[in-house]
Amino acid sequence: MKLSEILSEIKARVLTGEEKIDELEFDYVAASDLMSEVLAIARPSMVLITGLTTPQVVRTAEVVGIQAVVVVRKDFLPSETIDMAKACGIVLAVTKMTMFEACGRLYNRKLKPIWSA
Amino acid sequence: MEKVLDRVQGFFLDMSITEIMNHSVISVKPDRTLRQVKEILRIKRISGLPVVNNQRKLVGIVSIEDIIKALEGGYIDDTVENRMTRDVISIQSTATLKEVIEFFEKWPYGRFPVIDNDGVLVGIVTKNDVMMALLAKLGLVYLHDERRREVLDSPEYFARSLLTGERLDKSGADFYFSIDYFDINLAGVGASKLRQFLLSKGIDEKTARRVSIATYEAETNVVIHSGSTGAIYCFIKPESIFVRVEDTGKGIEDVELAMREGYSTAPDYVRELGFGAGMGLANMKRCSDNMIVMSKVGAGVVVEMEFFRGREAKQ
Repeated sequence: MKLSEILSEIKARVLTGEEKIDELEFDYVAASDLMSEVLAIARPSMVLITGLTTPQVVRTAEVVGIQAVVVVRKDFLPSETIDMAKACGIVLAVTKMTMFEACGRLYNRKLKPIWSA
Repeated sequence: MEKVLDRVQGFFLDMSITEIMNHSVISVKPDRTLRQVKEILRIKRISGLPVVNNQRKLVGIVSIEDIIKALEGGYIDDTVENRMTRDVISIQSTATLKEVIEFFEKWPYGRFPVIDNDGVLVGIVTKNDVMMALLAKLGLVYLHDERRREVLDSPEYFARSLLTGERLDKSGADFYFSIDYFDINLAGVGASKLRQFLLSKGIDEKTARRVSIATYEAETNVVIHSGSTGAIYCFIKPESIFVRVEDTGKGIEDVELAMREGYSTAPDYVRELGFGAGMGLANMKRCSDNMIVMSKVGAGVVVEMEFFRGREAKQ
């Protein structure tokens, strides 16, 4: 699915990398607040949904090669986080939606988990 | 951290006083003079003497303070019996380190005679004895096996590769990053730079990813746990990428335990940032094809990892 569609499904506001949202497409989504976990399980071709707002989120995404991060349940993000996303060329978006609803909606739209139990 | 402390506490606080105290205690009979005591204190370089009767039962104590008073008061030739402190605070030989520490907290004295059930003097314990006993015990806890000690004690600990045993020419590293910050919010800067560097050198995306994830974990560990600065070295070899992350900090007490998934000593503020889940070392192992962690408590940690090019991470 196109990133722009994903973001509008979960009513996310794009903070950085707006120019890429029509080019990037994803089939997989992962949600976690544990950066250690993201490091352990993540794959590049996925959207990361998280509740964390620190610059570490962006750095972790960058190291793993994740190109799009959506922060849930927030209005604003710290400027350091936004600046870092800008510098890394990562699409960063924010939504007021809870993680549960965001994941539920995307699952409904046939986006896939990175693995199935 | 608390878990470690609990473990350590049990291990230390239940130590018997007989492991701590000085067994060959020097004592004096009540009929000696304070002048003789002064000479014993001077020659033996100690600051107090328990007084025992003919059955070696504890009957009093004289300290260097008593000698000073005797010199000032002009009664240095008086007998010990007339001037000693009679109600001595002593410890039973069944006590543990915990009780010994409580004694030192409770009383302002520098030494406590140790007596058995019959009141017979069997030893003496000073703060110095407690300290030395703890250090000796620490030495036992952290005793590494011979092979590791060989590596660790060698002056080349930081100069040789653990993986290959070869001398490392660190100045010849293709990539160097100094982990010279303590702010957890910066953790990963080096790994992120390394990733960009590898990509710029034409290393394939998958390998660069594995390297940077593992390096990120190692770098984060240095920032969270070492309490020191550290360094990242990377060598690009024809078949593989070689990374070494080292610090000169606190070291790891139990590497095996630290390798266990879910084990972590990270403080809460680190966990709030989404780290400290105890997955770091396990993840490094998963991402790399070869990995060695070497640590000496108080001397730092060295992690070396080798990544064969063009391979996927293990799942």
